[in-house]
Amino acid sequence: MKQSTFLVIIIIVIALFPVYGQNTLGSITDDETDLYAQTKQVNQFFRRFNNEEDKFGNRYYPGDSLYRDNAFRKVYLEMLFDKESPFIQKGLKEEFINEVTSADNPVFLDFHGNNWFAELPTSFKYYKKKENLLLFMQLEQENLGYKWVITNVYFDKFLKQFNKGDKEVIAGTFLHPMSHELDFMNIYKVFRDPKYIEYYASKTFKPDYRTLLFYEVKMGNMEYVSVGPLKFHFFQVDGWYFEVTFFNRPGNNSGWLISKLYRISDSEKDALIRFYLP
Amino acid sequence: MKTYRFIIIFLFAGFAMQGLAQDNISPERKQAIDSLALEKVRDLSKYISLIGDKDTPFSEANRVIDRAVELFMEGSEVGVSSLYREEINYYQVREYLERLMRLNYSKVDIEWYKIEYVSDLERQPDGTYVGVITIFQKFSGYDKEGGLVYQDVTKKDITVYVKRKETQIAGKLIGFWDVLLGDIRVKETTKQ
Repeated sequence: MKQSTFLVIIIIVIALFPVYGQNTLGSITDDETDLYAQTKQVNQFFRRFNNEEDKFGNRYYPGDSLYRDNAFRKVYLEMLFDKESPFIQKGLKEEFINEVTSADNPVFLDFHGNNWFAELPTSFKYYKKKENLLLFMQLEQENLGYKWVITNVYFDKFLKQFNKGDKEVIAGTFLHPMSHELDFMNIYKVFRDPKYIEYYASKTFKPDYRTLLFYEVKMGNMEYVSVGPLKFHFFQVDGWYFEVTFFNRPGNNSGWLISKLYRISDSEKDALIRFYLP
Repeated sequence: MKTYRFIIIFLFAGFAMQGLAQDNISPERKQAIDSLALEKVRDLSKYISLIGDKDTPFSEANRVIDRAVELFMEGSEVGVSSLYREEINYYQVREYLERLMRLNYSKVDIEWYKIEYVSDLERQPDGTYVGVITIFQKFSGYDKEGGLVYQDVTKKDITVYVKRKETQIAGKLIGFWDVLLGDIRVKETTKQ
């Protein structure tokens, strides 16, 4: 086993040196080692994680001898981690790699497999002032294919409008059970202090920040300005959460890499997913 | 453009005959589509080099811009960011190429790295397939004395749309896969 892993390492290291004689764009240039090593697309992150492509980026298909080969995966996975991240413990990383490449129950990432989310920082002009929002997105199937959809919005200005206030006041925010006999003449209390309005809603009420965003944009109070650096959150490996970020830097540890890795329980996983997919 | 279409039809007529009722793209067909998409990306890179070249006469550069724009879906945009400014500036493809033509250097070198990364093709809700090809470009701008005044390397992620179309040849309906380029994301990776 050790010997085969060593062989795979040698093959991959050779692969990461510049390759000549491939199809090219014509003229060219400098050392390309870094560019070959870089995980250039999220698509390539999936393929490298699963060992579904060769050293040149050509796709392996089911039936190809190296398709999803576990020995190659072990080496590729090692390279898919941000080596400078303070959020990744070496021991934890090894456990993760061993688990997803286990011979009995290997785990692969699935592009269409749900449980992975994009986090897109954006800026908007909100009442003429520049504000930062996070959009959470997921792939959704529709008709013949898939599309990215917005699953949640994080904006502190929306957030602090809800479920805040004085506990004593909150305790008294209800319409008594005989209000109907008085034709709800007390309904004005609901709207008297907007700060506490949500406490008059049923207990299943949850503010929908997407609706607020769409409404404000429709009303012309909010205007899109720009996007910031994208990242992804993965929950496809049972018992684990990892974050994938693009590292735009020289060297052979660049591109889309795992920037955070945590072991999580099922309940933690559910709670985290609820944040992205309320 | 017409000759191009003719070639596309012949390239893909064979695949199309077997695949008229098929929705999914087989690995073999994907490879053929990848080659066609790469051809278009290579054409684009050649055009970009010509447009940027200060030795290309103005009228010729404009003609090349027209040819380059034909490679794209209508309304395609180029989104550009730099190492020090993450905010993306958007340009229509023609506008982007015209800006490249007008750059204020005495000499410009545009070189391309050998690497071309081709993603999987994913289907969008309307049935069109979409993929992304990543290429890297090195740009060098020189002043009158021949001194290098600007140099950067950019990563270009180019959207590729692949659509099934049909055409009549000698009264026979022939299906083929048409490939068009879409939005391009240009990200600076190194600067001097």
